[in-house]
Amino acid sequence: MADSDGTSSQREDRVLAYSALLPSVLILLLLVALPAATVVNFSVREVQLGESDNAFVGLDNFAWALRAEQFWSALVNTLIWVFGSVGLEMVIGLGVALLLNRSFVGRGVARAIVFAPYLIPTVVAVLVWRYMFHDVVGILNFFLMKIGVIDAPLNWLNSPRMAMLSVIVVGVWKFFPFVVLAILGVLQSIPQEQYEAAKIDGANGWQMFWRITLPYVMPIFLLTALLRTIWTFHKFDIIYLLTGGGPVGATTTLPVLVYQKAFADFEMGRASALAIITAAILAVLLGVYFFLNKRAEARQ
Amino acid sequence: MASLELRNIHKFFQEQHSVDDVNLSVADGELLVLLGPSGCGKSTLMRIIAGLETPTSGDVLIGGKVTTHLRPKDRNVAMVFQSYALYPHLTLYENIAFPLRVRGVKDKLVAEKVKWAAQLVDIERLLDRKPRQTSGGERQRTALARSLVRDPAVFLLDEPLSNLDAKMRNSAREELRDFQKRVNITWVHVTHDQTEAMGLGDRIVVMDRGSVRQIGTPEEIYLRPADTFVATFVGTPPMNLVPMDSHTLGFRPENFLHRAFFGNEPDVLDVPFRLSRIEYLGNERLLYGVTADPLPEAKVVARIPSTLPLQLEEGRVEGFGVRRSDLHWFDKATSRAIAAPAGALHG
Repeated sequence: MADSDGTSSQREDRVLAYSALLPSVLILLLLVALPAATVVNFSVREVQLGESDNAFVGLDNFAWALRAEQFWSALVNTLIWVFGSVGLEMVIGLGVALLLNRSFVGRGVARAIVFAPYLIPTVVAVLVWRYMFHDVVGILNFFLMKIGVIDAPLNWLNSPRMAMLSVIVVGVWKFFPFVVLAILGVLQSIPQEQYEAAKIDGANGWQMFWRITLPYVMPIFLLTALLRTIWTFHKFDIIYLLTGGGPVGATTTLPVLVYQKAFADFEMGRASALAIITAAILAVLLGVYFFLNKRAEARQ
Repeated sequence: MASLELRNIHKFFQEQHSVDDVNLSVADGELLVLLGPSGCGKSTLMRIIAGLETPTSGDVLIGGKVTTHLRPKDRNVAMVFQSYALYPHLTLYENIAFPLRVRGVKDKLVAEKVKWAAQLVDIERLLDRKPRQTSGGERQRTALARSLVRDPAVFLLDEPLSNLDAKMRNSAREELRDFQKRVNITWVHVTHDQTEAMGLGDRIVVMDRGSVRQIGTPEEIYLRPADTFVATFVGTPPMNLVPMDSHTLGFRPENFLHRAFFGNEPDVLDVPFRLSRIEYLGNERLLYGVTADPLPEAKVVARIPSTLPLQLEEGRVEGFGVRRSDLHWFDKATSRAIAAPAGALHG
């Protein structure tokens, strides 16, 4: 009797558990699995928006992508965008974290100010930056000319060379606080006694940074860099809102290209193939992330 | 090797007087223990010696030279921290080598020195491990080796045994003492553990609220405490204190014995003792109760070996006593030790 009671109450538990999970599962299916399946389906067909005759074309869309000059230039743009932004974010983030870890008057205020860009909505931030970048009324040109760095106004967003730089500047400004946050957390967890022991043992400031701080920070530094790489890789809003991918494709990264193919050229099939290639690159990066993460956890 | 001297050291943190006019000298090769409750200023004093804190006033002399404003690395002191402060990302070998590496010592000499230091503390076979792969005792020995490898003039140890379990602590104490004898270095040892202090120290400095209460050998501290703080801080259970008219009378629990024990001895103060509780601790019994005439009523403890065949019952009044030579007298106002007042208790 007791046995069958046990099993029936276990069964009830299981039913309850599954019914609690059901809404989330449904939402996931609807919002992730279904679109993903649709993309996979589209990627092997020639899909024209508004037409119902979606002919199966095999891997033609992928073959097109790998031959298309557009794809390769978007890939190069993506790499410049990703490594430019993440590289600067990491260097600036580490530097600012080290500064904010020192004790000085007004540190609390300084920390709050540093984190502000991360909290401002992207649309708002981009609108403000566009205004600042403006070649005639923008404050950037005004300021740079005032201090004599440039003689004539720069065409920040409309020259192919400057546009990528401008986009990276905004990206770095918006996301370096994330790096500061991650690294500051580690810096604050380093026991003060480690530095005191090193001081007594004769280490100077540089040696303490090199032999104590950096080894402590390194695992998180690498993980953060990788995480930022993944997020920057599929970043869309900043670039699209600032330049729309232009001028002349100078800031068209893979996500922007996917969007253009799908909603400007209405070539859903090719857009889907591009999206899948992008996702594949990201999957590799994610794999590295989980590998590093596991190793960092094992080390603790 | 060098002597160490502190002259009129004061340290204020904001308004708080955490070290109050400390004067002491440590002879070359001596092991001096700073003993006191937490917050008594002993760790601050050690940090001042190391150069991690600057005294508000006063001087630190190492080997006769004023080092008060020298940087830690220029004082040639070594310090073992309570947490050992080993670098988790380095092997024990590299941890021990650290002080040499930052001074740019050549690899070959580093290897020699590390091997020598590791041998002294018996951790040669662990040198490839990281700190997290070793036990608390092994970490402590690594920290010792690290502080040893550059031949410091003064050795500072901040509660080095407090992270070990009680059993380990006994053997580690013995090892430390043995180690100090071999290296024969001037050694300042901070602890709040009186057993550690008594067992290790050539001399003990008892501190309370920033100032030195007494400096002396373990025997002096125990047998002739300078004031009621020292009398009650050192010894378990602490010395019994009985408030008299203008003095405080003190006697240790182990000197408070059943009258039968003294036989016909003269010069014994008889004290009736009303037992309220008996604690059996295996090797000894602690008897809690209240004194009676000729002493005022006061709660006291007696400590007697379990081997004494005494029939004792809670609630009964027993005839107890103390040798007059084991009585301690303290001034009620200053709490300092004084000579036995004339005519007190007909003694």
